[in-house]
Amino acid sequence: MRTRANEYVSRRQALRSTAAFGAGAALAGAMPWTTARADSPAITMWWWGEQELPGLQAVVDEAVAGYADAAVTTMLQDTAVVISQFQTAAAAGEAPDIQFLWNGIYHMESVWLGYLQPLNGLVADQVIKDSSPTLLSNFGGQTYRLGWYPLPMIWIYNKDLYDQAGLNADEAPKTWDEFLDACDKLKSKGFAPVGGGIQDGYWGEWYFGHALAQNADTAGEAIDLFTGDRDFRDPKYHEHWVRLEELKKLDFLNSEMSSTELYPGIDLIVAGKVGAGLSIGSRLPADSKAIGGRIGTMVMPVYGKGKLAGQPIFDSQGLGISAVATNPEAAAKFLEYMQAPAQLQSLHEKTGWLPANVNFDASVITDAAVADMWQRWGMSPNIPYLANMVPGQFYEQALLPAAQQVVEGSITGEQAGEMAYNVAKEWREFNPDIVENYKKWAIDLAG
Amino acid sequence: MNQGSRIAPYAYVLPLVALLLFVFGYPVVRIFEFSFKMVRGIDGPWIGFRNYDLVLSQPLFWESVRHNLQLLLAVPCMVVWSLLIAVVLFDRLRGWKLYRVVLFLPYILAVPIIAVVMKKMFQFNGPVNEVLRWIGLDFLALDWIGSTDVALWTVMLLIIWRESALGIILFLARLLALDESLIESAKLEGASWWQRLRYVIVPQMKVVIEFYVVVSVITILSSVFSYVYMIGGGRGGPGTSTTVVELYIFNALIRTSLPGIASAVSAMLFLVSLLLIVPLFAVRRRANEEEVA
Repeated sequence: MRTRANEYVSRRQALRSTAAFGAGAALAGAMPWTTARADSPAITMWWWGEQELPGLQAVVDEAVAGYADAAVTTMLQDTAVVISQFQTAAAAGEAPDIQFLWNGIYHMESVWLGYLQPLNGLVADQVIKDSSPTLLSNFGGQTYRLGWYPLPMIWIYNKDLYDQAGLNADEAPKTWDEFLDACDKLKSKGFAPVGGGIQDGYWGEWYFGHALAQNADTAGEAIDLFTGDRDFRDPKYHEHWVRLEELKKLDFLNSEMSSTELYPGIDLIVAGKVGAGLSIGSRLPADSKAIGGRIGTMVMPVYGKGKLAGQPIFDSQGLGISAVATNPEAAAKFLEYMQAPAQLQSLHEKTGWLPANVNFDASVITDAAVADMWQRWGMSPNIPYLANMVPGQFYEQALLPAAQQVVEGSITGEQAGEMAYNVAKEWREFNPDIVENYKKWAIDLAG
Repeated sequence: MNQGSRIAPYAYVLPLVALLLFVFGYPVVRIFEFSFKMVRGIDGPWIGFRNYDLVLSQPLFWESVRHNLQLLLAVPCMVVWSLLIAVVLFDRLRGWKLYRVVLFLPYILAVPIIAVVMKKMFQFNGPVNEVLRWIGLDFLALDWIGSTDVALWTVMLLIIWRESALGIILFLARLLALDESLIESAKLEGASWWQRLRYVIVPQMKVVIEFYVVVSVITILSSVFSYVYMIGGGRGGPGTSTTVVELYIFNALIRTSLPGIASAVSAMLFLVSLLLIVPLFAVRRRANEEEVA
């Protein structure tokens, strides 16, 4: 770890040397375009997102080039080290001023380690709220992230297949019974009614995020499952895996689901080989275009009795300010600049996707399916994505394996609940210090 | 020999030894140190043997060890397969040099490239199963990478196929160095192909076979990460059916933020690998002695 940090220090020093050379040259009149920035503060920003949203690099470049109040140096991070690279640098006091942050536990550990500072007081409250950071960015009554671009968690269905099965393609099933009925009709026409790909495990995460909410009244209730105040063996907290088992037993899942990865699995729905399944909003523009708009979005059909059941799930990628930022005020101003209407528009134009900010002028969205989704998921009351609260150990050893094995048919939903309980218990033994933080976090998420 | 000339050889190798100690020695020391700490971020408090206690009492760790041991079954298959192919090539059947290149090809291709192709081939509705169904062997059309019962065997198949390439080249090189008059004599005496292999060729290849076995065992125990990472969907799946010790360490370090746990398992794996290197050196020493003799 130290080696990696040292490598980075060298790299930063090299960048600083280059900047210093540039500044010197500017003073000498050789580079007049940097003269305007001679007295501007310098801020660094480590970011991620080009990997899932091509075009974001251009958005960042344009924002940096057009920003006159600070000299911003950016670095695109590799997916595998987004968290570890930041935490290592923060521990060494060498973290960037602005850091890209995934939501929930993916940045909350850095909050608990003291590597991030709250945005309240640095960034205008209204800007924080409008950016849609979601509830999972809060701890101790403070918010640690600004939303950047949204990730609505959606179910999609192929309207052409629904038509062919004699279903009303313009009205998605709302209840579980309606959904099973639709699956039955699709199956009778020879289509795989529901599914995708779970070979890489992520489908299990998405499913958990949608389905756990069905029997929860608050996000904090889900946290209790990890702290031990609630129990996955309680039928209400493993019912989601029982419902998945039901789909398996009824032969409604596509046959190649266990050997297919997440995104190729979604492609099967778009290609008309599977009726419905899980997806993510950022895919919708391309998928809708691919099948001429014949794609429908829906929330997970309701079977549960929790207050969160049937609500659209909204997540966002975001940015925060590190605790060791040399100039947090300048960093905050740049973050506010990135939430300005022109930058929101730029993000839409360069990526084809949307910014998370509710002030984005949605009238420019041309695809009806995307516009409808943004209205329902982004602009209407929504709930956070509960899978983002899951501890890493639970994620790897229970959440993903449980869904894979239920889909494969090697365990029941009840056994999945037992597995989840055991792994949650192990996690508490491995992480007694983090359990305490989870209990505090539950207070923020109880609302 | 004066004192200066006695010191000189050590002085020559000192820079390299110092570099090696820095590159390998320092991380090893830190790994052992971390294995006794509850590391959060880049350091943490000492907790004695608690990391070891937690790991050794966790079913997933033992499941990972069991998978590594199960994969050891690949070693005899690799030895037999490599030996047979090497001997067939040694008989210089028409085009043997081309076959040699083709057989060695998987070894020079990166595992991820091979694994990606294999994953496509072995999908439930992929080419392998399509062919099996087409020829009426539906019962063999398994969910090769999607079933918890089958996935580890698929990984093993991939390991055998790729790692055998090294065995074939090693064995063939040794065969080409054998005294052919012995084999010719055996032929003249009327020994069959099998008898020549059993009583003439294999005894002379004993050392290289032992070497290959030890290297393969070490590979299976500590270098199969890329195979299970690619075939197991990056997670050791489906379920935890292809999780091995290396992946366990990777997950503990990168995905579950438990560097102390990762270090404890790394320390144990390091010690086991060290133990396995002892027979490797013994084999090499014996080989040297035989050459001298």
